[in-house]
Amino acid sequence: MDFQWDSEQQTFRRAVRDFLAAHLPQDWESLAHGPGSESQSAFAKKFCAQLAQAGLLVPHWPQRWGGRDADPWTAFILAEEMWAAGEPRGGQYMNVNWIGPTLMRYGSQDQQARYIPPMARGETIWCQGFSEPEAGSDLASLRTRAEKRGSSYRISGQKVWTSYAGHADTCFLLAKTAPGREGISIFLIPMRTPGVIVRQIPSLIGEGDIHEVFFDDAEVPGDALLGAEGQAWEIVRTALSLERVGIPRFALASRMLHRAVEKLEKAGRFGHGAVEQAARARAACEAARLYSYSIVDQRRHGTPVGPEASAARFATVMAERLVGEFVVEHVPEALSGGDSMLLAHHQRAIVAGIASGAAEIQLNLIATELLRLPREPR
Amino acid sequence: MDFKLTSDQDALVSAVDKLAARFEARPTEFLGFALVGHELERELEDGQYFDIAQVPELGPLTAAMAVERLARLPFTAEIALSMLVRPQLAGEWPRPLAVAENSRPGRFLATAKTVLVIHGENVGIVQPAAHEVEAVESLFAYPMGKLKEGTTTTQLSGSEAANIRKWLRIALAAEVSGLLQAAVGSTVEHLSSRKQFGRPLGTFQALRHRMAECAVLAGGVRWLALKAAGTGDEGDAALAASHAQESATRVVYDVHQMLAAMGMTLEHPLHLWTYRLKALLSELGGRGGQAKAVAQHCFGCGGPG
Ligand SMILES: Cc1cc2nc3c(=O)[nH]c(=O)nc-3n(C[C@H](O)[C@H](O)[C@H](O)COP(=O)(O)OP(=O)(O)OC[C@H]3O[C@@H](n4cnc5c(N)ncnc54)[C@H](O)[C@@H]3O)c2cc1C
Repeated sequence: MDFQWDSEQQTFRRAVRDFLAAHLPQDWESLAHGPGSESQSAFAKKFCAQLAQAGLLVPHWPQRWGGRDADPWTAFILAEEMWAAGEPRGGQYMNVNWIGPTLMRYGSQDQQARYIPPMARGETIWCQGFSEPEAGSDLASLRTRAEKRGSSYRISGQKVWTSYAGHADTCFLLAKTAPGREGISIFLIPMRTPGVIVRQIPSLIGEGDIHEVFFDDAEVPGDALLGAEGQAWEIVRTALSLERVGIPRFALASRMLHRAVEKLEKAGRFGHGAVEQAARARAACEAARLYSYSIVDQRRHGTPVGPEASAARFATVMAERLVGEFVVEHVPEALSGGDSMLLAHHQRAIVAGIASGAAEIQLNLIATELLRLPREPR
Repeated sequence: MDFKLTSDQDALVSAVDKLAARFEARPTEFLGFALVGHELERELEDGQYFDIAQVPELGPLTAAMAVERLARLPFTAEIALSMLVRPQLAGEWPRPLAVAENSRPGRFLATAKTVLVIHGENVGIVQPAAHEVEAVESLFAYPMGKLKEGTTTTQLSGSEAANIRKWLRIALAAEVSGLLQAAVGSTVEHLSSRKQFGRPLGTFQALRHRMAECAVLAGGVRWLALKAAGTGDEGDAALAASHAQESATRVVYDVHQMLAAMGMTLEHPLHLWTYRLKALLSELGGRGGQAKAVAQHCFGCGGPG
């Protein structure tokens, strides 16, 4: 066991930091507020194209798809630096983390040729159409239907909380082709398809983030289906396990904690109460970091990632909670125009235990799969 | 010891209840943070509710009951300081009141007629001119404002300052109490109606116990706030504010977890209460500040400073 980065990893991290320093605009911190906003979405497209040109968008992808087969550590260092900088890639982080890799594994040749190269060039935005008004934690109960008519499918239903939908080109959509969990299928749907309607939801987390997406008898060709009919559950399990430790939230959380402490120190207010809380939050960030690294390490060694991923995710939720509470209690001016980056962090931290699966569901998974406790009766 | 309301208190509480009932509904077109109840404030003025504490049969305890009842509304107005702190000021100071603590933005500061300025142990007071205050945009669900640097204030004496601090703590606890009840009520409603996995969320024990704990915390804050308002004791005030901020920190996290994505929309009212609670978490030194006051007034250790 070795807790030091090797020289290659250090060089890579430095290269990413240099790139960020050279490419983030002066007013980036005010832009970072609202990851799905007009201004950030426009910036992210330009930025991702530049990242791609520098070989920093998808280094961990196979050469064939524009990467250089870099190991999971490279991918994670990249993700840490991007998230800690306020995620200038916007919604495109999803392409990099799981949509691209999922298409490589399950997509047809045509689907791969059509969708992967624009992702690798940083030109395209996707959204994830899973949740519905009646299907949040209970995703399997989703009701959006895809009916086969001749060689095409007709899609009817409603998605909700869909991030980045307002700017997305394509939706990674779950719909039922038959009843039950085994009847869920995945469709890759151009958002410009007639019958697809997007409405932004005004939210606590900033402009342009979450949406409702309506499918009113939207027709897509048969080849919009990813994998086979009814294969969604298997595919999504793989995809979501990539997403679960996908966002290194602890990286921004600990950076913001340091910023908050610095401000307090300067103002002579880092006293009794604040000190203890900051220490607790800092330790929680470090625990989340090491937990997440242990998952990356499993991937690096080709060990199948188990329920520890849920533990890493929950450790991250705890860290976000403590840092978020620290800032609200000790640097509250951050939420009233005092620091746009601390505000941006606040708006991300409050969804840490909700987005991509509620924390309580992770706890259930930890209890059942890691602790092997008997299940709660249904 | 008698926890039953007097007939005067009962009549006042019923009157406030009746008034509040008309402001119970949130205008659905409102999708912001600070839902200010101008009409509510006017009615409270007209009915002389801001002077409850000065009425001998009612006093600060009844005023605290009014504060917590009104804090449960989706609308907000500067009520707590007017009802509980203003009567403690020597001389005539116009309402609304606000606090500027360590040069930070404060609630209702942009429209306040009287501002209490806290810097460390010092408390000053000023009637700011219009150009000395400005509104600031905020995620907190109160209208937030700032007092410009360099505004001259009149310093309160040490004992006046200590008394004002005490009543600020009581006002804070009474407000938190109402906000907690509203946040808990709104969440209980959600857990009762929303189903996942074919059953109401409220049937999952993982949520039931946490919700029940939140309700117990809210109830505890209520008793502490009322007692402090009733006794006017410094230790009681410190305990009330301490339990209020400690409980609010926990409840805000829990209720947002349970509402999950729904609680993130401005279409659901939860944030009107939680983002007021968040604004109150930092006041008067936050939990560290209250702990110090508890040490001083309840354990008799650690002088000021
Ligand atoms: C910022 C943000 C972005 C999002 N982006 C997307 C997106 O791009 N695409 C998408 O499809 N979805 C997205 N989501 C939705 C997200 O996946 C859901 O919010 C999440 O799955 C939880 O569902 P829910 O909000 O309906 O909560 P619910 O499922 O209603 O849960 C409410 C509460 O009940 C608890 N609960 C539920 N079931 C149980 C149980 N069995 N035992 C114990 N407790 C339980 C939950 O933990 C939670 O505390 C996003 C959400 C947010 C907040």
